[in-house]
Amino acid sequence: MPNLAISLKNAALSLNGNAGLVDILHSVSIDIVKGETVGLVGPSGSGKSSLLMIMAGLEETTGGSITVLGLDLTKMNENALAHFRSQNMGVVFQSFNLIPTMTALENVATALEIAGVRNAHDRARAELQAVGLKHRLHHYPNQLSGGEQQRVAIARALVNRPAILLADEPTGNLDGTNSEAIMDLLFTLRDRHETTLVLVTHAPELAARCDRTIQLADGRVLSEEAIPA
Amino acid sequence: MSLTTSIRLARRELRGSFSSFRIFMACLALGVAAIAAIGSVRTAIENSLIDQGAVILGGDAEIDFTYRFANEDEREWIDNIAIKVSEIADFQSMAIVERSEGTERSLTQVKAVDSSYPLIGKVKLLPNILLGDALGNQGGLPGAVMDPALIDRLGLKIGDTFRLATQDFILSAALEHEPDKAGDGFTLGPRTIVMRTSLEKVKLLTPGTLFSSKYRMIFANGFNIVNIETETKKRFQNSGLRWRDFRNGAPGVTKFVDRLGTFLVLLSLAGLAVGGVGISAAVRAYLVSKTSVIAILRTLGAERSIIFQTYFIQIGVFALLGTTIGLILGAILPITLAPFLEASLPVQAQFKLYPAPLLEAALYGLLTAFIFTLWPLSRTENVRPANLFREELISTPILPAARYLVWIAIGVITVISLSGLLSGAWKMTFWTTGSIALILGILTAAAVGIRWLAGTTAAQIKGFPALRWALAAIAGSQEGATSVVISLGLGLSVLSVVGQVDGNLRNAISTNLPEIAPSYFLVDIQPNQIEDYTKRLKENPAVKRLDTAPMLRGVITKINNTPAREVAGSHWVTSGDRGVTYAHKPPQMTQVTKGEWWPENYEGPPQISFAAEEAAEIGLKLGDTLTINILGRDITGTITSFRDVDFSTAEIGFILTMNPTALNGAPHTYISTIYAEESSEIQILQEISTEYPNVTAIRVKEAINRVKDILTSIVKAISYGAGATLLTGFLVLIGAAAVGTQARIYEAAILKTLGAKRYQILLSFSIRAAMLGLGAGIIALLVGIIGGWAVSTFMMETDYSIIWTSAFAVIAGGVIATLGAGLIFIWRQLSARPARVLRDRE
Repeated sequence: MPNLAISLKNAALSLNGNAGLVDILHSVSIDIVKGETVGLVGPSGSGKSSLLMIMAGLEETTGGSITVLGLDLTKMNENALAHFRSQNMGVVFQSFNLIPTMTALENVATALEIAGVRNAHDRARAELQAVGLKHRLHHYPNQLSGGEQQRVAIARALVNRPAILLADEPTGNLDGTNSEAIMDLLFTLRDRHETTLVLVTHAPELAARCDRTIQLADGRVLSEEAIPA
Repeated sequence: MSLTTSIRLARRELRGSFSSFRIFMACLALGVAAIAAIGSVRTAIENSLIDQGAVILGGDAEIDFTYRFANEDEREWIDNIAIKVSEIADFQSMAIVERSEGTERSLTQVKAVDSSYPLIGKVKLLPNILLGDALGNQGGLPGAVMDPALIDRLGLKIGDTFRLATQDFILSAALEHEPDKAGDGFTLGPRTIVMRTSLEKVKLLTPGTLFSSKYRMIFANGFNIVNIETETKKRFQNSGLRWRDFRNGAPGVTKFVDRLGTFLVLLSLAGLAVGGVGISAAVRAYLVSKTSVIAILRTLGAERSIIFQTYFIQIGVFALLGTTIGLILGAILPITLAPFLEASLPVQAQFKLYPAPLLEAALYGLLTAFIFTLWPLSRTENVRPANLFREELISTPILPAARYLVWIAIGVITVISLSGLLSGAWKMTFWTTGSIALILGILTAAAVGIRWLAGTTAAQIKGFPALRWALAAIAGSQEGATSVVISLGLGLSVLSVVGQVDGNLRNAISTNLPEIAPSYFLVDIQPNQIEDYTKRLKENPAVKRLDTAPMLRGVITKINNTPAREVAGSHWVTSGDRGVTYAHKPPQMTQVTKGEWWPENYEGPPQISFAAEEAAEIGLKLGDTLTINILGRDITGTITSFRDVDFSTAEIGFILTMNPTALNGAPHTYISTIYAEESSEIQILQEISTEYPNVTAIRVKEAINRVKDILTSIVKAISYGAGATLLTGFLVLIGAAAVGTQARIYEAAILKTLGAKRYQILLSFSIRAAMLGLGAGIIALLVGIIGGWAVSTFMMETDYSIIWTSAFAVIAGGVIATLGAGLIFIWRQLSARPARVLRDRE
């Protein structure tokens, strides 16, 4: 189906840890169409973040297939996946994951530089301006508030205009006011760039703004629910 | 493109990372500084030997003969090739001072010179008079100058009289500086200089007497030294003539400095290898702290190569910085310490900035950083984006990818090749690097063993929590045990081996040898004196044993009619002139191991009995013929027997013994050894020097002391090298302790939460540090004992016994070092508040 952004068929994930083999995801099948906003919900340990990571090609599945924008991620090697991500995907984390030794501007520019974009700093500056951080360009992460850090992370995730944006509890570490602002920003930018958005969230108000939610439990899809517009 | 991105990322990552690389840079700087300093000192000496080659030698070139002066042909040739010649005779003699309260005697190395001496350079005397004036007649007696040490020993004052053989001299000045001293090599006695003409009456230098003659030459401008050397050697190839020239004025010193320098550089490389452990640990700790950054970069789409290059460049910058600091230190140190160093050097060295040794040190430093960085750096490949949210479920492979191992191997091979290439001492390089690799292997295995032992013991211990925690911590932390044992163990092992070898060698030469060695070694007993001499001493009840033997010197020129060097290569027996004797029957205590000794009154063709061990080394067999040039005459004989010769007892031993008629008519003297009670030694010496003033007596104990002095200097130099290795090891320990501080703080916080008291935690941490130090010390001691035994037994061929003082010092050193490094951070670890630590951790 050419309209599909992400398609998982019986995707499974088992990891080898110190305590032996742990099954994280069991035969998960999901289709997400381009431009759709999907919320992954469920209790802690249900496999939401892991599901998001295998969609991003950040984690290798141990079974099934994952097709993103028509390409089978399971057939790609690490470097091909990295290249694919730099061109097509943005990822936002709960704990922001900014590089502490880089300023806000450099954090955003790094994504462009890795993608081989020439005028990285100019575009990064524009992107930070778009998220309301024009005055914080040369600040380091530890000089920024949580909300500001997440704005930088969102700017970094979107600066390459990815077709898909994956967000892992983007408001999880923020207070109410900041959460709302980040949600607004995320959805505004999604609308502006017509990005497919998949987000993991515990927040019902965030899930409610999605087109659809997928409920996970024990690494399995429990239910899917379309949210009325 | 990816390199540009990596450079940009590396530049950003450099911010705030300086403190993580302090130990990294210190380890590198120390190792590089040691190598640069040693290399600079070596170059300073070698340059001085080259620059002052002619001064050290005392001429553009020197021809010397043992036992004789140049014959007419040779002298004519010398006068032909040179525009200026100085003839010198060099020999040992007894300087005697008669006083009413008793006679003082001391061995001296006499240089009998002509009026042309010195051709180059200047003799400095105190008082500041000309040498010619000092050696001239002073109220009817010839003048002489002496080494101030000898003047002190004999209690002389300027203007006093002393005697050499039967000739009296006036001491006219103290010898402050002898320009050609380094070129003269090792001497047993301090120097006395006299005019050769002043000895003519006393027949000290008759044919057969033990002396060497030296002909120093100055050539006309534009001379070709290679041609002159080749032509001279060709013309007098079997005459026993030896050639030296300004290109290497003091070959002995050059070789010694070169060998010791090479060994010390190799030892410093061991120090760098120890530093490498610290470098590796620092890089590993840094990259662990960068796991999330690497994962973020991977999430953003950075390929492995970008990540690798980013940190490679960053670490490279710190490696360059550490190396530069080391180079600055290594270059400045010798210049700053020049006045102290010069006092203990055989030549006046020119201390300045030498680029070559600095470049060598820089290469070693950067290569070491490369080798030890690559392994932990390769682990960046294993950091996956998923590390950002799931650290505990990711197991990483133990070994890096094959390509990194290949690069590490290339790095190691390059270091070894570079070291071999730059020193030219491949054998020593392989032995030393092989030994270092072996010790590192043993230490790594020992670290695993210590952890296993600690784990097993911890499970058995009940009721002593501090000890149990310590043992459990040792067993549970791979990094701690391994880095402590390796970093400390290598330096301690080298010191331990040095301590054991030195102790045993000292035992052998100062305890064992005097028990079996003779009291005196006498040379230049004339044939007309030998009968009376033997009778006199045999009648002396204090003399327990007396050995005498005729002594000639000869050069083995051919083996089975083939030039000896082609057969024996550079074996010491064929590389110069050797003592030759004759005897009717095998000397007492000598065992013929193969063949037959000639019949007692044998008068047939010349026969030879050869030392068995040396014969085996050269590959000689019974029936082989040897041509020996003795005082210009070729004598060819057949080897008819081999015998054991033991040089370690200092008794008379000859490589070559011939049947008496083979050496008929050859002028010779006798040598002798006297074994006597120590209390009678002075009285015997008095008797000999009175009755036979031309005979030189060398007191074996004094010779042993002289050898011991040299040994002390060598051991000191090696100990300093090993000390630098140990210091690097200590730095690594501090680094390991610093890296482990957060873990210790957390551990202490948990223990406190569980009710542990501060002293219990302190005790536990101290026990842990001490036990690891003890472990490293014990392993080092074992390495020292095995190494010491091997060197003593196989190289020195002496008995071996454990030197306990060195052993205890090594173990105590290990414990003190680990405790010291651990205690630097202990207060921070103990004073942290548990609630804050545990909350921060969450």
